[in-house]
Amino acid sequence: MLRTEEMLLNVGPQHPSTHGVLRLIVKIDGEMIVDAEPVIGYLHRGTEKLAEDLNYTQIIPYTDRMDYLSAMTNNYAIVHATEQLMGLEIPERAEYLRVIVMELNRIASHLVWMGTYLLDVGAMSPFLYAFRDREEILNLFNELCGARITYNYMRVGGVKWDAPPGWIEKVGTFVEYMKKQMRDYHALITGNEIFISRTKGVGVYSKELAIQYGLSGANLRVTGIDWDLRKKQPYSIYSRFEFDVPTGKTGDLYDKYLCRMNEVVESLKIIEQAVNQFPEGGSIMGKVPRVLRVPEGEIYVGIESPRGELGCHIVSKGKDKPWRLKFRRPSFYNLQILPVLLKGENISNLVAILGGIDIVLGEVDC
Amino acid sequence: MSLLAILAPVLLLVIVLAFVTYAILFERKVIGWMQNRIGPNRVGPWGMLQTVADVFKLLIKEDVIPEKADRALFKLAPAIAFVPAFAVLAVIPFTETWKFTDFAVGLLYYMAVSSITIIGIMVGGWASNNKYALLGGMRSAAQMISYEIPLVMSVVGIIMTTGSLNLNDIVHSQKHVWFIFPQIIGFLVFLIAAVSELNRTPFDLPEAESELVAGYHVEYTGFRFAFFMLAEYVYVFAMASLTTVLYLGGWNAPFGLTIIPPIIWFILKFLLVVFFLFWLRATMPRIRVDQLMQFAWKVLLPLAIFNIFLTAVLKEVPGIGHFY
Amino acid sequence: MVLGLVKGLGITLKNMTKPRVTYRYPDEPLKMPDRFRGIQYLDPEKCIVCNQCARICPTDCIQLTGKKNPDPEKKGKVLDTFDINFEICILCDLCTEVCPTEAIVMTNNYELAVYSRDELFKDIRWLHENNQNIRSENSTNLIKKPGGKTT
Repeated sequence: MLRTEEMLLNVGPQHPSTHGVLRLIVKIDGEMIVDAEPVIGYLHRGTEKLAEDLNYTQIIPYTDRMDYLSAMTNNYAIVHATEQLMGLEIPERAEYLRVIVMELNRIASHLVWMGTYLLDVGAMSPFLYAFRDREEILNLFNELCGARITYNYMRVGGVKWDAPPGWIEKVGTFVEYMKKQMRDYHALITGNEIFISRTKGVGVYSKELAIQYGLSGANLRVTGIDWDLRKKQPYSIYSRFEFDVPTGKTGDLYDKYLCRMNEVVESLKIIEQAVNQFPEGGSIMGKVPRVLRVPEGEIYVGIESPRGELGCHIVSKGKDKPWRLKFRRPSFYNLQILPVLLKGENISNLVAILGGIDIVLGEVDC
Repeated sequence: MSLLAILAPVLLLVIVLAFVTYAILFERKVIGWMQNRIGPNRVGPWGMLQTVADVFKLLIKEDVIPEKADRALFKLAPAIAFVPAFAVLAVIPFTETWKFTDFAVGLLYYMAVSSITIIGIMVGGWASNNKYALLGGMRSAAQMISYEIPLVMSVVGIIMTTGSLNLNDIVHSQKHVWFIFPQIIGFLVFLIAAVSELNRTPFDLPEAESELVAGYHVEYTGFRFAFFMLAEYVYVFAMASLTTVLYLGGWNAPFGLTIIPPIIWFILKFLLVVFFLFWLRATMPRIRVDQLMQFAWKVLLPLAIFNIFLTAVLKEVPGIGHFY
Repeated sequence: MVLGLVKGLGITLKNMTKPRVTYRYPDEPLKMPDRFRGIQYLDPEKCIVCNQCARICPTDCIQLTGKKNPDPEKKGKVLDTFDINFEICILCDLCTEVCPTEAIVMTNNYELAVYSRDELFKDIRWLHENNQNIRSENSTNLIKKPGGKTT
């Protein structure tokens, strides 16, 4: 009788498809995964602890560096929580600018996911195409706030910059351009038989499991649960826009892909409406005291980041700095389900499943 | 004559090396263009010296042998992988006169010798004493052995038509109709199996970067690594030549355009095949390992056998029988 | 069954004829929009040594000291030293935002790579000489325009 042995395989932190510095200790039997254990913390910077020593404005640039693919939503999480706690009123124009940049950022983030995911399953070109289109968004952001990744755009009470002349029109042009590009993506990827065969029926989990593990975002919606905080707990001015929440049917990786691609389409819809409704004039900064002193109390707000529910929990003791700040980072929670999904899978599904979760290590480790 | 017998292989080696140099550049350029990029353009005009610089870099790099590696095998593996790649070129007829041998079982020789490379790859993967390399080497062996069978089976149709394993005879019998038309099923099976034999996208599992980091050559550095890469690209050369010879009529001119010399025709058809390989690489995701095996045994092999059957049947049909 | 693959091949071939989207950087420097946040320019004349920039800096990378105005007829302080440690500056733009006199402003200069860490220590002279491509809109905190609104 031939005796076979299990083998420990160390994947990461330097591995091309762990999307940063995630380390996985995988126990394999041949090419079959018996057990997998994610090891995190290689990018831990202690943002939450640091924030206790920073005033509310100073925290904003730190949040840029958590989920560095969608810094705008991170910015929004902290300013939104602070504003809620202070009971501030936000000018109309600022709200529209916020929604436009957040949705643009969602598209940019999903494009990166799509590109890197296709890279994970071995296709090279979609990655470059995705980055080509993301570049358009980054250029828009660069014009708006002077940075391409770390925007530091939102402020408690409003936004830092008003749209420069012609910017809104450029956003409108981009929406049209992106709609055209979506057709190319579908032709290149969605119908590709190899891609379908690699993703259909892989990495399936049930609704119950998804809820048990606290998944959110596309990872939750793919199981068929219609849960989008923009709809369920409308914040900002999302209730003014018409958009659908794409959900999946089977919960496999292909559905996840479709789900995210459809979210891009929905975001385009929102941006289009926001551009059309964009108020003529008005301030971009509400009435905010010079020194931000947040009244004593605590608050939790959850917003829909591209990766799921991004929560921000502030405990204030009435100072200009939070007494305790906690971010509920969707990537961190979504990653928890990985060992369950990997058990019994082939090793070539490892990267496909890991990629499907869409983690950003800056956010996992925070 | 004897001088020529020595010089010609050397000349071929130079040509092959030049081809590899520029095939890599061309590949990077083509993929770059397909991705709205420029491709390499920093070294030399139009990036012409990029590969030269890359190879030079590999040459001057430190030669690292992992401490726990099997030293003898580790050193031997690149040679085992490369030598057959070059040896198979002996039977390829480039034109009527430019050929090395008139070997009666040329096709068989090609198939037989080319499979020796698998040993080199497996030995390399094993000797590296690295888990990724081992997985890559094993995958590679499984894949190449599986695809060898449909590859051979798909050309049986041609052999039945020409009644010869000699590649020269095969080209000669394509004077009027290239085998791509009567043997279209065989051609498709051959092409897919050939891409897989070459370990190229969408069948690049042995060196799947996103999964196995680099597969069997993960521990190789410097010139040894260059040898593996060289073997791979020499196989591109050989396989593209073989495809041209078997299915695209070799040096035969289409539409009676004999005014253009046969070698040009050969090169054109050859480049078409090479371009197709690069084009595939720019487009396709990677197939999964279990699907790869199923595809070989459940789809390609039955198709190839069906092709043999079809050829045999059509041979007897009056009117079109003479095509087969 | 293979229609999707053929379609995909069509897309890549189509893109081959499209114009290249890459930039020619570093052969041609990238033109950044006006609001781009590059390394700061400092005008020591304008500085009133209010220390706001040092206080708002999230990474504490600004160090400044003032001295009494040498001109006895004028009140207030003038800037003595001003250092930004570019090893830790994150170019968040907050220092220029709070500056009440636009003494410290952003420029569009983004070539920050140097060969030694020491060179990342930018002092008052360096920051003053960095006077190219200065950003036109800066502080939201100007003394003359209360309410903190940008124009």
